[in-house]
Amino acid sequence: MPQNTIAGLNADNNKKFDEKTFEDLYRRMYPTLKKYAIYLVKDVEDAQLILNDVFISIWKNGTILNNEKAYLFRAVKNAATNYHKAAKANLWYMDSEEEFSEIIDVKETPSQAFQNKDRNRVLYTLIDQMPERRRLIFYMYRIDGFSYREIAVLLDISVRTVEDHLVKGFQFLQQKVLENKSEFR
Amino acid sequence: MDQETWKLVLEYLAVKEDLSSSKAEIALLEKRLRNWVDEDDDREEQLEAVLLLWQDTAQPPDDGLWKESFAGLREQINQAPVKKFKLLKWWPAATAAAIIGALIFFIAGDKKLLTSKQNQVVWTTKTAAPGKIINVLLPDSSEIWLNSGSSISFPQNLKHAGIRMVKLNGEAFFKVKRDPAHPFVVKSNNIQTRVLGTSFNIRAWKNYRSEVTVLTGKVAVSRDSAGTQSAAVHLLPNQKVTYDTKLALLVRENVEDAKTSTEWRTGKMYFNKTPMEDVFQTISRKYALKVVSDRSFDNCELTAKFDNVSIKEVLRTLELTFDIQYTINKQTIYIKGGRCN
Repeated sequence: MPQNTIAGLNADNNKKFDEKTFEDLYRRMYPTLKKYAIYLVKDVEDAQLILNDVFISIWKNGTILNNEKAYLFRAVKNAATNYHKAAKANLWYMDSEEEFSEIIDVKETPSQAFQNKDRNRVLYTLIDQMPERRRLIFYMYRIDGFSYREIAVLLDISVRTVEDHLVKGFQFLQQKVLENKSEFR
Repeated sequence: MDQETWKLVLEYLAVKEDLSSSKAEIALLEKRLRNWVDEDDDREEQLEAVLLLWQDTAQPPDDGLWKESFAGLREQINQAPVKKFKLLKWWPAATAAAIIGALIFFIAGDKKLLTSKQNQVVWTTKTAAPGKIINVLLPDSSEIWLNSGSSISFPQNLKHAGIRMVKLNGEAFFKVKRDPAHPFVVKSNNIQTRVLGTSFNIRAWKNYRSEVTVLTGKVAVSRDSAGTQSAAVHLLPNQKVTYDTKLALLVRENVEDAKTSTEWRTGKMYFNKTPMEDVFQTISRKYALKVVSDRSFDNCELTAKFDNVSIKEVLRTLELTFDIQYTINKQTIYIKGGRCN
């Protein structure tokens, strides 16, 4: 891991956009933005490359527009669109909801997670078990505060679908919390 | 709570948290929610639980994942490559087509090619069969030990090439003849290792995190996507770099004793929290055996060191560690049962 800092290497970075702001922005945006990139390109490694490219261009410009959140998601979407143009016959791209709902992250089972008693952590362990699209919508809505409409545009789906996923996602959480009430505190 | 109620709750919360909402709007939704609550005794409690759920999901826990990822980004910015690296791996099909095209050109048109100054390069490939470890002396006097099931390819004009380029599949230990005017480059899996004259070990098995460990001298390792290199990570003795495919990141770390990474040369096997799937792969390469096991067992991890021992002894250790049963039939080992401890 490099221990050196960014400071000084980009001499013309202006004051309103320093290293701290940049790191902060990255930390805040990473959880959802990474998932969004993966959702779009269906490849973890390429998603990371897209993410890096977007942030590098921001760093080079030294400034960010007022609505950083909307800007970043659009930038990732554009990069992903170019990606698809580049790989026209992309066999990995699947649009079917069902195919992906099968992929559940079982790194940590809920019962294990309940033991650590950290409610927020437990809830996010459960959220991370949702089907890919539902989880992404949940993150975009709850963490990044996008509206139904904004999510619908970014994911190219209908507003009703967004609402449906959110409701089902919350129902799932509620049910899990009830099922594990004793352990959940 | 049914879907309709959840919709109402979400609408209420969205309106409530939106600073531009009017008081009347909020009051209206609050009233609708109140009506729902009043219909049954336990609904007050339900709503409370739901609002708590809302509150507790406002932020994801900081799992630190972003940090690693950010460190990779920082490295890219710091080392600012002269030209922005293009994501050529996005065109695997195109690359493959180009290679096939080039091959056809080579085969069909080598006469035309020879009229140009270029000479046709002949590549030699040496392979260490499963169960065998071989020593290869390259034309430039560099020495290579090839681990079982690995292969190395090098051009015959290696000694006179501007850049001494070789290709590795699997694992090998290199002792490179020092020649500062002609850098020595190893291409393997998804990384490229560039040196002047040093000794180092490269692990580049397919579907496994690639690793480069340095014993002497200085080595530069970069990510290789379809022939385009990322910024290099520099390594000194007793340092190693691991390629994390998920993060597309080269991670450098210090190692206690780099020699451990080359102990396979004397038949030793060294596992450090290694997933069983990889342990079995190593075993099957070293002993030229096929391992058939229960897949559920693959997630267990093994930490162990084996001197140059017989396969029976290895299996006995696994038997004790993981409570497995095994049978050997000709060149195949069947493993049953087993649980992680």
